[in-house]
Amino acid sequence: MTAATPARSRPSTFAQWWVLTVRFIIPTLRNGELALTIASSVVFTAGLYIPLSHVMGTATKGVSSSYAQYIMPLIALQAVTFAAMSTAFRAATDSLQGLNRRFRSMPMAPLTPVAARISAAVYRCSVALAVALICGHVIGFRFYRGAEYITGFCVLVIVVGAVMSFGADLVGTGSRNPEAMTPLFILPPLIFGLLSVGVQPVRQFPHWIQPIVRNQPISQFVDAMRVLGGDTTPAAGAVTWSVMMPTLAWLSGLAVVLVPVSAIVLSKRQ
Amino acid sequence: MMSLVCEEATHLRADEPRHENSVRVLVPQTLVQTQRILLRWARDPTTALLALVLPICFLVTLNVVLGQQISQITGHSALYGTVPMNALAAAIHGSATGAIGLIGERTDGLLSRLWVLPVHRASGALSRIIAEVVRIVVTTLVILGVGVLLGFRFERGVLASLAWLVVPVIFGLAWASLITTVALYSAKTFLLEAVTLVHVLAVVFSTGFLPVDQYPRWIQPVVAHQPMSYAIETMRGLSVGGPVQSPMIATLLWAIGIAAACAMPMVFGYRRASMR
Amino acid sequence: MSNSDKAVVVDRIRKTFGEVVALDDISFDIGRGEVIGLLGPNGAGKTTIVDILSTLSRPDRGRATVAGYDVVSEPAGVRRSIMLTGQHTAIDDMLTGYENLVMFGRLFGLSKSAARARASELIGEFDLVDAGNRRVGTYSGGMRRRIDIACGLVVQPQVAFLDEPTTGLDPRSRQGIWDLVARFKSAGIATLLTTQYLEEADELSDRIIVIDHGSVIAEGTADELKARTGGSFCEIVPRHLKDLPAIAAALGSLLPEKNRAALTSESERIALPAPRGANTLVETVWRLAAANIEVADVGLRRPSLDDVFLALTEDSSASRAPVTEVMQ
Repeated sequence: MTAATPARSRPSTFAQWWVLTVRFIIPTLRNGELALTIASSVVFTAGLYIPLSHVMGTATKGVSSSYAQYIMPLIALQAVTFAAMSTAFRAATDSLQGLNRRFRSMPMAPLTPVAARISAAVYRCSVALAVALICGHVIGFRFYRGAEYITGFCVLVIVVGAVMSFGADLVGTGSRNPEAMTPLFILPPLIFGLLSVGVQPVRQFPHWIQPIVRNQPISQFVDAMRVLGGDTTPAAGAVTWSVMMPTLAWLSGLAVVLVPVSAIVLSKRQ
Repeated sequence: MMSLVCEEATHLRADEPRHENSVRVLVPQTLVQTQRILLRWARDPTTALLALVLPICFLVTLNVVLGQQISQITGHSALYGTVPMNALAAAIHGSATGAIGLIGERTDGLLSRLWVLPVHRASGALSRIIAEVVRIVVTTLVILGVGVLLGFRFERGVLASLAWLVVPVIFGLAWASLITTVALYSAKTFLLEAVTLVHVLAVVFSTGFLPVDQYPRWIQPVVAHQPMSYAIETMRGLSVGGPVQSPMIATLLWAIGIAAACAMPMVFGYRRASMR
Repeated sequence: MSNSDKAVVVDRIRKTFGEVVALDDISFDIGRGEVIGLLGPNGAGKTTIVDILSTLSRPDRGRATVAGYDVVSEPAGVRRSIMLTGQHTAIDDMLTGYENLVMFGRLFGLSKSAARARASELIGEFDLVDAGNRRVGTYSGGMRRRIDIACGLVVQPQVAFLDEPTTGLDPRSRQGIWDLVARFKSAGIATLLTTQYLEEADELSDRIIVIDHGSVIAEGTADELKARTGGSFCEIVPRHLKDLPAIAAALGSLLPEKNRAALTSESERIALPAPRGANTLVETVWRLAAANIEVADVGLRRPSLDDVFLALTEDSSASRAPVTEVMQ
């Protein structure tokens, strides 16, 4: 009557994570998402560098060897953020289709789908970063320190992307409304980016906003990245713990906050 | 017992049947469908709010970051460039939301359901267009409000001010037709991200962001002639002064050009999305 | 111009999607007030037929008329006369039940006041009074289906297309839909009901059309179709399997050769045709008693529509082998 069902081993979390991650990545190779990721890095490079290079050139003369050197960290961050934000959209769509609920009823750790989406986002961020660095090279950005600092630069950017996609994923899962995600894609990162030392030094901003500009996380990330990238001018500092601390503090703080929040969001009845 | 017979309707259908596509029914049927779409949008306050709050924040940000430099260079407040730009940008982003909703309705089968009703064949598409116009007017007014709070003033009289309000509508409709056409032929995520990227390009390479002469020489022609710049210049001229006629003509040419190019694919695509 | 006594006429419709032939010269008709059950597995072409008849799709060849209007040349007339409800309820989620009804009413040509009155009426009829002012997105599955159908009834249609209307519904809601179809019938509405549920087709339809791979493979009333598989049969389940050969011997002439040949060492029961109905059963019991064989069960069975369906689709695929034993 019925054939004996083949013996099933306990599904390993790693295998499940891998399958889901691949599920997110493979379609992108076909549906144009990859092309968009590449395009986005080019767009951000062109869009931030070309218009501002003239206006900001004088303001940054003392700080950086060229405006390209100055703005590169922000370009990289914007490109990576764009890639990370798409996770929110995908999470919301999955949530809407009830897939998240389905996943939760399977013998799978609750964080596995989230981890898979973030991994797919990290893949996308890496592509975005790679293209951004190529574009950066074209406009004149150079790494002036050794290989370990370059690695640190890249790792930092990817970690920022991962943390952002984690947060975006939670927002998307909680909202179940892909349409509401659309305004979040571009403006918030751009706003934070423009209100940071990524585009111009602190003193160029009106007084009342300088404290915000100085202390917001994007500025910290940009400072850290500049130091890791190095420069020929004397204003480029050395890589010290005091420079890196705020960045690391922000990142670990965000990660620490996101984990319990994710537990709450994921356990809510969808 | 259930009354399956509705008296009035039977009486109505005694009318000559061949007039499904008569103009007389187009207006009321379109209005009913427009009302539906507007109700839908109104009932989703998060999207509406985000769609307004963010452009406002962006407006403020731009003025904070670049305001001083621009007013030094141009002689008048940067607001006369950034307010139009944000109104236009909000129109663009709003239509992306609308297009995503359209794709959703196609997937759900609602479009097919509405297609099978005895309504004018054009009423569905027309209702979307009208709803879009309403949305653009609302977002423009809100952004204008914030601009006024920041110091924006109309200095060219009532007629010019009204014309100022019309420009985003024209621009937004042309843009919406482009996005909708793309939406009818592609997938959700692709649409959203592609629109966002084009949005970024349109914004940073427009005269609302920086005056033309602040851009490197080789890109100045692109910046000067792209549709968003023309629209911004038209609105600038209508609010604070400067040439109106030539940017206005250029804006109209762009708008008509885009809409005309999209008209056929859009109608075709809408039909295809409703039918099977 | 039009075939005035038939509500729906389908005449050699052919539809292909690329290489796949969805409908292969299919023909049938539906009279006024008739309920037709369109039965078939997934992919048989049921939804394609409904699409064509509701003007959502066009046939490659052939003609079809609905309420006298040709679906290709007079689609407006068709749209005015039909009601369509599909497997996926197509209602605006963000509007309330009441607002949906008013909208559909107005789009069907009712004045605002008439639409509102009708909406209230339907809300009452469909037992949605408490939920009428809530968004449809918050409704349960059964309620969604009810409001979906209600929206199709704001104006009386002449033809109703119900595309798998009870899929995914609980038994109570399903019964509600069944009652509705019965009322369509008494109101003179022609109904085309597509379903995978055989009992539903059995219960509701005046006639059943079985389609598979785009062609009609059988047509008739439920009883006619059941008779096609050979009619009633007797079934004997022995208490001890080893008695099967003895039973076969005891039945003698009652058991036709082919049934006897169909017995294998795996068989758990014996079936034999019962041309004289209950009398054959009596004869069977008598012979078994005479042979003193213990049986666990013996009875007279009528083929279910399941059997019919399996038999017919088996027939239509490869072999032409007659159906003997369908219970296994």
